[in-house]
Amino acid sequence: MAVCIAVIAKENYPLYIRSTPTESELKFHYMVHTSLDVVDEKISAMGKALVDQRELYLGLLYPTEDYKVYGYVTNSKVKFVMVVDSSNTALRDNEIRSMFRKLHNSYTDVMCNPFYNPGDRIQSRAFDTMVTSMMIQVC
Amino acid sequence: MSRQANRGTESKKMSSELFTLTYGALVTQLCKDYENDEDVNKQLDRMGYNIGVRLIEDFLARSNVGRCHDFRETADVIAKVAFKMYLGITPSITNWSPAGDEFSLILENNPLVDFVELPDNHSALIYSNLLCGVLRGALEMVQMAVEAKFVQDTLKGDGVTEIRMRFIRRIEDNLPAGEE
Repeated sequence: MAVCIAVIAKENYPLYIRSTPTESELKFHYMVHTSLDVVDEKISAMGKALVDQRELYLGLLYPTEDYKVYGYVTNSKVKFVMVVDSSNTALRDNEIRSMFRKLHNSYTDVMCNPFYNPGDRIQSRAFDTMVTSMMIQVC
Repeated sequence: MSRQANRGTESKKMSSELFTLTYGALVTQLCKDYENDEDVNKQLDRMGYNIGVRLIEDFLARSNVGRCHDFRETADVIAKVAFKMYLGITPSITNWSPAGDEFSLILENNPLVDFVELPDNHSALIYSNLLCGVLRGALEMVQMAVEAKFVQDTLKGDGVTEIRMRFIRRIEDNLPAGEE
């Protein structure tokens, strides 16, 4: 269902990025990159309220003709960005939310791996398979 | 003496994440300090041995198990009492050798390796080797020389974790000469 999933560090460099049709990889990278501005905007705009409610899900960042970009930010300011095909209208907000939660849990496991140094690129196989499963689920 | 007072037979609860992360930090630090994985394995085994020779006293004091009459009984106590007490798991015992001096402990889930994924450059590392050292050290203190080693490990893609235990000999108390 998702066509591109990215994990962005606090300092806005990518920790992990995968997109499914590899030929348009650059386009997705660009898309994720642009969305970071929207993420920053959202965080600073409703930063206070966000912290109070502990709401990590940022919702739809911006829709383009073919894709929708969703965002999620952890309390440690690590961002998850997910690009979804617009034609897939069956995908509801709730499902996106649960996908992000799954991603977050998996990311937590990666962080808990003693061989992973925080700030490095994520190379975990478990994380990789989880992302793959989210990408093909409904495709 | 307060420490002595709260040492009962019931096991105390502790956060498994803290435990796992502490052990993980220990192993990764060893990996940084030593050049190759063999040295790390050796070091883990030595640390485990030092833990084992102390832990056995605690174990005997808390568990009230009596003297074991044969190796099978020992195996049962290790799996059902010791592992349960200290790690909260009960490994199963299988693959007895015909002579009854070798068996395998099968760990369905190993609390030491939650979250862990071995990186490719540490393929020779035996992550949980500390356990072997503990078993060796503890049994040595009760006059049993054993050899313990990992033959299967979930970290290396096996379905289960298997520790192979081999009884070597009884250690006779050789009293110093001239003393009766």
